[in-house]
Amino acid sequence: MLFRPDLDDFRLLGRFTGKVVYGVGVVMALHAPVAFVLGESNAGYAFLIGASVALIAGAGSQVALRAHGRLTATHALATVGLVWLVVPFFGAVPLLLSGHYAYPVDAYFEAMSGFATIGLTLANDLDHMARSVNLWRHVMHFLGGQGIVIVVLTIFATTSGAIGSLYTGEGRPERILPNIIHTARFILRVLALYASLGIPALWLALVRTGWDPLPGLFHALTLFSTAFHTAGFAPMSASAAVYRSPLVEAVLVVLMLAGAFSFALHYQLWQGRRHELTRNLETRTLAFTLLGIFVVLAVGLARTGAYTSFGELFRIGFFQTVSAHTTSGLATVPTRLFVTEWGVLAPAMIVTAMALGGMAGSTAGGIKAIRVGLLLKGLRRDIRTVLLPEDAVVVERYHSTTVRILRDEQVRGAATILLLYIILYLGGGMLGLFYGYELQLALFESTAAGATGGLSVGLVRPDLELSLKVVYIAQMLVGRLEFVAVFALAGYLISIVRGRT
Amino acid sequence: MTGPRRPPSRLVSLLGVLAVALLLIGLLQVANLMRHPMPDDMPPVPELDADAADPRTEIDCPDPPQEAADDETRAATPPLVTSNELLDCPRSWDGQTIRYRGEAVGAVLQRADGAWVQLNDDIYAQTRGPLPTHRDYAGGNAGLGAFIPLELAERIGRVGGPRFRGDVLEIEGQFRRVDGERREAAVIVAHTGIVAGEGRPIEDPVLPERRVIALVLVLLAAATVTGERLVATRR
Repeated sequence: MLFRPDLDDFRLLGRFTGKVVYGVGVVMALHAPVAFVLGESNAGYAFLIGASVALIAGAGSQVALRAHGRLTATHALATVGLVWLVVPFFGAVPLLLSGHYAYPVDAYFEAMSGFATIGLTLANDLDHMARSVNLWRHVMHFLGGQGIVIVVLTIFATTSGAIGSLYTGEGRPERILPNIIHTARFILRVLALYASLGIPALWLALVRTGWDPLPGLFHALTLFSTAFHTAGFAPMSASAAVYRSPLVEAVLVVLMLAGAFSFALHYQLWQGRRHELTRNLETRTLAFTLLGIFVVLAVGLARTGAYTSFGELFRIGFFQTVSAHTTSGLATVPTRLFVTEWGVLAPAMIVTAMALGGMAGSTAGGIKAIRVGLLLKGLRRDIRTVLLPEDAVVVERYHSTTVRILRDEQVRGAATILLLYIILYLGGGMLGLFYGYELQLALFESTAAGATGGLSVGLVRPDLELSLKVVYIAQMLVGRLEFVAVFALAGYLISIVRGRT
Repeated sequence: MTGPRRPPSRLVSLLGVLAVALLLIGLLQVANLMRHPMPDDMPPVPELDADAADPRTEIDCPDPPQEAADDETRAATPPLVTSNELLDCPRSWDGQTIRYRGEAVGAVLQRADGAWVQLNDDIYAQTRGPLPTHRDYAGGNAGLGAFIPLELAERIGRVGGPRFRGDVLEIEGQFRRVDGERREAAVIVAHTGIVAGEGRPIEDPVLPERRVIALVLVLLAAATVTGERLVATRR
């Protein structure tokens, strides 16, 4: 039975959402001095406006909304859904004021794409965008990739009790450490480690390829944020193609793969358990699908004769496979070529790679390797059950930090999420068909939005139909939060109308 | 959800949700009013070809020319093409000598036998100038990578970016669907070119209304945060 939420429930939701808005306001305010130092005064004032509004809303909510109840699991999930709906409104303010977005909904789309680490963009003339605004796009990747709620509350909250149940709402299936604050801080330590290696490596590669040191540093920072958070915004419209450097691409591939690894796997590696790389069901599944998809994609490209030597085919094809499979969305060729040059099979593999995504508990989106692995294990168990004598007991095991026995509910859960993702991808695709776009294009873009893939074949553009923009925003939100938090928020809204007192 | 529950009526709850939604949408609408104004002295631009960027538009690619082209065809001035034409029909244009005009953006990446540069040929590069100095939105940037001779690279004074409109280059060279020599795809390898337009700084003077609004909001935010801190301490 649904209970209609009382005032205390609303206050709890508003109060926690306000805390996160407050935190995002503080981060936004840090961009103002950056803008003024870079001589981008209008952008600086835009950040002050955006940050001030967020701080007023955030601090005001703490004063006005005094709640007496405790944050339950349902509250937590609904709060996560609400935070992810509300925060992009504030994040969109400096974007809209930058003068690079035609409509308010475009700026909101961009902010949602940034926070949800999608990478689809509606920016006009990105190549002349103020550096501070461009930096904000990539900081949104950081906040969203790590989990806005967790990042903000870990930094600003003093107790861990309240945020424990918020953790899973942001698409993180399991805790790495018993204490949630320790888990969140471990995640930030992993980020710091990769940043301390990845940013200098990218910067050196960029300088070596001909970039001046200061612009090179900006590109290294933003590219790191995109690659490690498996996001998709690039500092320039030509994405990674503008660097013309196999070295930069190699560093990006390593960072994208690291970003697609779950933080639980990073923890195991941190503890020196390197065998997890070869035994873990998820790493095995990811390796299997990555290589399988690359092989089929290479066959597709070879059939169309898109590239004349294996060297070119490998460099371009492998980068795009990794970019799509990790749901990063960086490109080393103009993505228009996916339509005009790559035939049908290779783009279909890009869509498949985006749809599958990275590991659960990573920054990547999509169905996730663990679910694919569990489904394949379940299928194998069913086949063995049919083939073996009737009284045989078939037990399927898998390795995920320890050896575990496959249970029916796990397979059922994985199948449910798989089905939901397929509905999500097809739903957006159907609407694209309704507006007259070709099936391949509509499905490509819909999958990119729902799986946080971020690659685009040109449908997402400022004059895209409003309803498609709204649907893609919804897909980004639902795909990033893996359904549950959005369902909880929707349940809240339904309970207002249909719940009992 | 413990203790006696006293939920507000459905109407009050729904109105509350609606009010919050309207406040958030209103926030963006107000921000929309504070964007850069359209300059009064900017002449009207020709209507954009909206179909060009629409993926639903059917592309009619030109036939690739015959290998044994006659001398007359070869001697003619190569056609001036756009990046959209080249990317729409890469096979038709593969190996063809073309002319291409675009703004140098990003960086000039020197190599031993030439330099890479990204050349944008969109409306911001060709006619209207960069955002945010106006409100003629024409979508994302369009352009291609070009490998240009070193002597032309040395003549580039400014590349486009956040503070500058870059030099516009007009190059003549071969479009290569695949450049096996440099392992790149869909690029132009230029054998000659000129700087057809000099770059310049982007004028983005401070918007006085925005500055005033920002300062007022900063004061309000400081007051709210201080008030919240005081209340939190008393509690």
